[in-house]
Amino acid sequence: MPTQIDLLYISAVILLIATFGIVVRRGFSDWLHAYRYQTIILAGVVALIAFVTNIWELYIVSALTLGIKAIIIPKVLFYVTKKLDSPIKLETNPYVSLRISVIFSALLVTMSYFMTLQLPISSDKTIDVFLPVSFSLFFIGLFIIISRRKALNQIVGLLTIENGLFLFAVVITHGFSLVIEIGLMADILVGVIISSILLFRMSRTFDSIDIKNLESLRDD
Amino acid sequence: MLDTMFSSIESVLVVSLLLTPVISGLLVTLLKRKRIIEVTTVVSSFLILIQGLFLLSSILEKKSISLFDGIFYLDSLSAIMIITISLVGFLSSLYSVNYMGIQYDKLIVDRQKLVRYYQGFNMFLFTMLLVPISNNLGIMWIAIEATTLVSVLLIMLYTKQGSIEASWKYLLISTVGLSLALFGIILFYYANSVYDNSFNSIHGMDWTNMVENALQFDPNLVKFAFIFILVGFGTKAGLAPMHTWLPDAHSEAPSPISALLSGVLLNCAFYGLLRFHIISSHSIGSGFSNTLLIILGIISLGIAAASIYFQKDVKRMLAFSSVEHMGIISVSMGFGVFLGIYGALLHVINHAVVKSLLFFSSGSISQKYQTKSITDTSGIIKTMPITGFMFLIGGLAIIGMPPFNIFMSEFLMLSSGFSSENFLASALVILFLVIIFASFGKHLLHMVFGNPKSEMEKGDFGKLSILPMVILGSVIFIMGIYVPEPLQTLIEDASKIILVGGANS
Repeated sequence: MPTQIDLLYISAVILLIATFGIVVRRGFSDWLHAYRYQTIILAGVVALIAFVTNIWELYIVSALTLGIKAIIIPKVLFYVTKKLDSPIKLETNPYVSLRISVIFSALLVTMSYFMTLQLPISSDKTIDVFLPVSFSLFFIGLFIIISRRKALNQIVGLLTIENGLFLFAVVITHGFSLVIEIGLMADILVGVIISSILLFRMSRTFDSIDIKNLESLRDD
Repeated sequence: MLDTMFSSIESVLVVSLLLTPVISGLLVTLLKRKRIIEVTTVVSSFLILIQGLFLLSSILEKKSISLFDGIFYLDSLSAIMIITISLVGFLSSLYSVNYMGIQYDKLIVDRQKLVRYYQGFNMFLFTMLLVPISNNLGIMWIAIEATTLVSVLLIMLYTKQGSIEASWKYLLISTVGLSLALFGIILFYYANSVYDNSFNSIHGMDWTNMVENALQFDPNLVKFAFIFILVGFGTKAGLAPMHTWLPDAHSEAPSPISALLSGVLLNCAFYGLLRFHIISSHSIGSGFSNTLLIILGIISLGIAAASIYFQKDVKRMLAFSSVEHMGIISVSMGFGVFLGIYGALLHVINHAVVKSLLFFSSGSISQKYQTKSITDTSGIIKTMPITGFMFLIGGLAIIGMPPFNIFMSEFLMLSSGFSSENFLASALVILFLVIIFASFGKHLLHMVFGNPKSEMEKGDFGKLSILPMVILGSVIFIMGIYVPEPLQTLIEDASKIILVGGANS
């Protein structure tokens, strides 16, 4: 039987593996699968923290995460990828090659561990395990946004950043109050829908969702 | 229950202030006739202005109002924001009738897009009004992020390549920026939750609550968190070097929306920054955040100066001028003396008024000339006498010519810079202001007094495009001579709210 602390560590590791799944793979739907695994684990982690701390609101937050972020949002994005005009649904040549991306992401994870040691935040079991992981999600999400050329990948990067922030908030302050949590989820959902509309327009106007097309507005 | 909820006149006012744009948005969705949705939007934004004025008068009397168990909190600082949002919102809705009407006649937008425009317009006002009213910093963040989402919808109204590019950049950069701000907010919330018993309740994130506990916060944590807040809200407020989305988004939006984006939305984000500036000043003294504000402000001024000098596009030039003026507000705030803060808050209002006038007039001008290029737009005063005259007034005001209003607030800023012994910063500000004066002035003179192309048809657009400009022009002129008594008291009160933190250091 795994103990509680084992469970915490195992879930943290799976969270990181799912995040690396976004970094190492090329296919549009691969990223969405990886994001979905990541969010399901995240919901589990929140439920676990709810169990440890005995805050019942966190169970609702966990259920909301599962419903909105692990089911509805991937569904919307899967629908978008299916309907996109572009025949090849792969990231062919990202700005940073996948091999270097993996090394870089590993460095980011190490950096997160160092950074959390510097932060003046009191430590307990859950904070020790998840604080560095939440930072890693945040930084890897940022890295995905700046190193990839497909707009869809940037959305997934944004969602990863958001997951990192969410984990961070849950771990150090046991979450916001329910009203704010619901407001945040609504913002994310609307954001995803708007960016899906933009993706459609982009693929219709430029025949691809490559952001290299988005460089005409400049001052020269 | 309802009895206690609506016990005071202010609670009724705040609720109706928030409900007016929502109801008007719903009506627009249901009615769909061109004339009717225009009238609905104009009437609702006029009602918002009236309600805003009533709220203003009761804030002047009571100094601060806390409503619905502290969920809403209004003080003089919020009142300044509400009054700018509602004034520019109303004039922008008036101007929209003419501007979008011409776009509709030219078949650039169809009926469906017109309906979407007015829905978005109303929702945009709603989300912006929610920002200064909410006491809970989490709700404030949600409202600011919602302003991004709504305005992205408004920018992508046109399906041109340029607007798709602009909305994508805007959505991505602002959201990443705001997520950094959320990170900072979580850290502040953590700092507060250590000392606060109302832990995990909705009041743990209240601004009033945080200001009370601020002295007990861990100083290192506050510094760390404030940097994230500054970068995050700074991105949305258009402070350089995080401003890269701004010229694209502001120049690709329909002109009435550009006026709202530049004149009001930037201030909303800066307002968020300001609330944390106050908390951080209460906690660790104002020195730390002041220095950072001055540095970012100077960088913004420098980048704006260079970009305006080489600019070829009218609306991009105006957008960079917004970067400049957010820089001025930030520097002036950072000088940290009463006069500087007073000047900064005055500048918030002045910039909103002048920039809206410029966007309105340049909107009509670019519709007439069918181009946004500075070189191809010349002799406006001959082709469109009134619009050209208004553009001239706005242009002279924005570069800081006396006797217009921006001269007053820039003068206050510079004198506070010297009195607080920030000589290097003040000198740099003067240098950049001179560069902007010369280059903006050159573009302005060429556009207004140059020789028009001979085949241009003469004449202004309809009364509804002229009226908002004339109103704004007279406000600019009056505010340049003297600031009305109530407004003076309001800005003084707000400056005291910001300065109290400085007194602790």
